Amino acid sequence: MTHTLHRRGDFESLREDFPMLAMSAKGINDIGSAKKMRKFFQIILKYEIVNFGDMKTGNKFTTDINSIMDSMKDSSIVHAVFKDKDELKRCIEELKKEDLGISIVVSGLFDEVDECCRETGIKWNITEYSLGIHGKLDRLPDEDFLEFSTMCGHGMVAADLAKKMILDLKKKRISYREAAEELAKQCCCGIFNPYRAEKLLRKACAHWCLFES
Amino acid sequence: MRIDQEKCIACRRCNYYCTMNAIHLEEIPHLPGKVSSVVDEEECVECGACKRADVCPVDAIYEQTTTWPRTVRSNFSNPLVEHKETKIPGRGTEEMKTNDVTGRFKRGYAGISVEMGRPGTGARLSDLEKVAMAIAKVGVDFESKNPLTGLMVDKKRGKLSEEVLQEKVLSAIIEFVTPLEKVRLVLKAIKEASKKIETVFSLDLVCLPDEEGHIPTLPMAKQEGFIYRINGKTNLGLGRPKALEVE
Repeated sequence: MTHTLHRRGDFESLREDFPMLAMSAKGINDIGSAKKMRKFFQIILKYEIVNFGDMKTGNKFTTDINSIMDSMKDSSIVHAVFKDKDELKRCIEELKKEDLGISIVVSGLFDEVDECCRETGIKWNITEYSLGIHGKLDRLPDEDFLEFSTMCGHGMVAADLAKKMILDLKKKRISYREAAEELAKQCCCGIFNPYRAEKLLRKACAHWCLFES
Repeated sequence: MRIDQEKCIACRRCNYYCTMNAIHLEEIPHLPGKVSSVVDEEECVECGACKRADVCPVDAIYEQTTTWPRTVRSNFSNPLVEHKETKIPGRGTEEMKTNDVTGRFKRGYAGISVEMGRPGTGARLSDLEKVAMAIAKVGVDFESKNPLTGLMVDKKRGKLSEEVLQEKVLSAIIEFVTPLEKVRLVLKAIKEASKKIETVFSLDLVCLPDEEGHIPTLPMAKQEGFIYRINGKTNLGLGRPKALEVE
């Protein structure tokens, strides 16, 4: 389950994309952790986050805060997406202070996350690197569409859906925000970044000429 | 997944939500003049995205009852299905996400995951076996808690059960820990195997920093021609009790 790894995009785009997750370790600190998860969720909601969710309950666009809070279990994995590094840093600072004792993982540009850790006095534990995509690369959609689909690590955002959204935008059937949120709805965990998606949609609409099949 | 052809009004809305591009319009032979969206069951990975999207205006999409070995598809592809081995929904394990507490990755070792079929192409388990068997030749122990390892009939060789080889999943992860001395050999084997498959995979590398704060596996990956990306995952180390205390 490495679902927040492998997000594609350039430096500028990824500067606005920091998924965070919290989980407990089975058999070690999971018993009674639902309470800590609720506290984690309360903390992250104080900050400017563009998406949130718990895989089993839903995300910002498919459910509501109370449902997620009420459904929290010891096995829950709670997610949030930040678009702003300073906001992320402030949240990390509070999480450090609260010392909930659950594991917290932040994805994003290593230099930026490392800076947040240094400035908040956190000595991170371990990092995971993406060594890219290999194999029959001609089966992949264009890089522009991969930037949308890799924002859901479970692969629930089809490249075809991103194309359809671009087509609908060009035909003025939908707004940029609606298109970004429609894409975000498909990612159960709430790690899809609709703020970034909206910007990518604007770029793609300017670059791509698509036809209804 | 299936579509009730009598109900379907051929609006195509569901087609775009299919993660495998496996839903198409077809004429229905037993319903003269009728066109319907149809799921190509060979390509469908039972991820449930079409149903969850909730876009069908006539509620024609349904999940059929599947039996072994087709059940493998939803187990690996539908993120809401919890694997009985890991108790975690999805394809993998807790891996580095709880490493601050579990101490799963130790100094002198690296964790490698090969995420077959990701992004967005899906993978036949026969392709997955090719890569697993190539890695196994170097001598690794596949992660016992990973649900894929549970499908191996010969874990030393990375051999999967014959019954599942033609099944297709959205993604499944070949996961293992290996001593640093073997990292380059493993990466070489993965690179060779990548030329023999009909799908793609995303490759992950996990490692604790050394005493000077450097990640020892990054130069090894570079030497084998792998370029690491500028973004990835960082475990902040806020979990308690700390792994050392657990030990």
